[in-house]
Amino acid sequence: MSWGRFDTRTIVLIPIAIAINIVLGQTVGTALKVPIYLDSIGTILVGILAGPVPGLVTGLLANLIWTYVLPAPFHSDYAAPFAIVAAEIGFVSGVLGQIGWFRGRPNTDPQRLILGAAVVIAVLLGIGYYGFLPFYTDGTFTFFGDTSVAGPFFTAVGYLIAIGIVGATVGLVTLMFVRRDLGVAYVAIGGLLCGILSAIISAPISAVVFGGVTGTGTDFLVAAFQQAGSDLQTAVFQQGLLSDPIDKTIEFFIAFVILQTLSRRFVARFPQGEKAVGLERA
Amino acid sequence: MPVWVILADDLEPADAREIERLVPATPSSYHRLNPLTKAVIAAVGSIGAFVAGGYIGPIVFDLVMLLLAVRAGVLGQLVRASLLLTAPIAISVVLVSVFTRAGTTVLFAIGPFDATAEGVDFAAQTLVRLFAISLSIGLFVMTTHPRAFVFDLERRGASPRVAFVALATIEAVPALVERAAVIGESQRARGLDTEGNLRARLRGLLPLIGPVIIGALTDVEERSLALESRAFSRPGRRHLLWTMRDTRWERLLRWGLMALLGAITLARISGRI
Repeated sequence: MSWGRFDTRTIVLIPIAIAINIVLGQTVGTALKVPIYLDSIGTILVGILAGPVPGLVTGLLANLIWTYVLPAPFHSDYAAPFAIVAAEIGFVSGVLGQIGWFRGRPNTDPQRLILGAAVVIAVLLGIGYYGFLPFYTDGTFTFFGDTSVAGPFFTAVGYLIAIGIVGATVGLVTLMFVRRDLGVAYVAIGGLLCGILSAIISAPISAVVFGGVTGTGTDFLVAAFQQAGSDLQTAVFQQGLLSDPIDKTIEFFIAFVILQTLSRRFVARFPQGEKAVGLERA
Repeated sequence: MPVWVILADDLEPADAREIERLVPATPSSYHRLNPLTKAVIAAVGSIGAFVAGGYIGPIVFDLVMLLLAVRAGVLGQLVRASLLLTAPIAISVVLVSVFTRAGTTVLFAIGPFDATAEGVDFAAQTLVRLFAISLSIGLFVMTTHPRAFVFDLERRGASPRVAFVALATIEAVPALVERAAVIGESQRARGLDTEGNLRARLRGLLPLIGPVIIGALTDVEERSLALESRAFSRPGRRHLLWTMRDTRWERLLRWGLMALLGAITLARISGRI
């Protein structure tokens, strides 16, 4: 395990990565009106290419610079409190990059693809059934057995979560077979883990500093969960656990696709580039 | 030469005049404070309001920041920016907490949503806190030139590499926005749908951000070669041509403010406020 290195190339990459975070988070995200944040792709790329510590530093600096250095119109008053979440995202991407979870695995043979699909399905359904469902529905709604004790709101949420998870699973498995790339499975599970971790870290910050809202579309979820009886902390966490894993999985996929697109010669010049795309075995 | 700027002492007079022109303008005595002093004021204002909680602490910080803004002559600008940046989140706070926060004192009800006194109280507390954060940081950003702040940190021992990252980011963001706009227009010219339904917009995501990111990344190569040829990775400190003055009473003020923040934190932890 190496922590990563700050060579000149990495130092030059960091400001560009921060700019990518800010520009995609602020302009493309809002221009396309998609309900995801997309504000960590730069941080994720630095983590993958340079290592966990450069990723961590990039995340930290990105949010601090966003609040304390960057002049209007790109300035944000409220990025700094979330610096620690950004740092976590950079660090996790660095670790996952180093152990090869962002490697493309093209032309995987069908048997291993099926095995990978089985793992993805097991992880997603397992987390969904044993983690999400009881947490969101107060433990009253389980699909199987007696559903009469569950309130209508929890029944609705239960079905929505089920549809979401089954949809995500089908989408991921399809993507895996269409690309014939086992790498999809690694990226999906990595994004899911990183998203859950981010939700755990960011929920208390959001609840304590901002009263649980961000001024975006995800706020109505917080309102719905609070109306259903959750206290603010729980409602924010319930919102985060829905938004963050989706957001991080999409961002991980974008980083993954970009890594495949870049020339290997270019990638290999970064401190962790060879490990990230698996050149040392080639 | 203005007294609040210190030029390197080995400059030729002609060079000194040239450097002086690069120094950002400081229209008020608040602007002329050392950047670190203003940063400490902003940090104590935003963190202090958050730590103190309730109403009195944040409102005091709100008022102090507004008074300082009057002194700096940026009151109107600051209030406008602060309202604009806080408006979306403020509306959310009010709606979410007034109508959905659990409470016993129901003021009125709209459909299934009860407006509770507890919700109003919570929303008001969050609002005064958010404004304290926004005013503190807004005042700092409006009265401090980023370059002056970063050079000052470097003079105090911050790594030149961190300084490079901070300053390069300021340049990189508008450049990337311009690039993104050009790419967006060219992709639309090729028939990319950025206005349609959610599905169409999601499909448009990758053709938009792919070229933006890849284009930006390919600049890394040239830039790092250019920096290397200018001795970027040479060890040791850089020779700064100008920095902002720091005085003894500003140092005292900073320590005093930090002590105040410490005292607020202690009082809060021990349950006195």
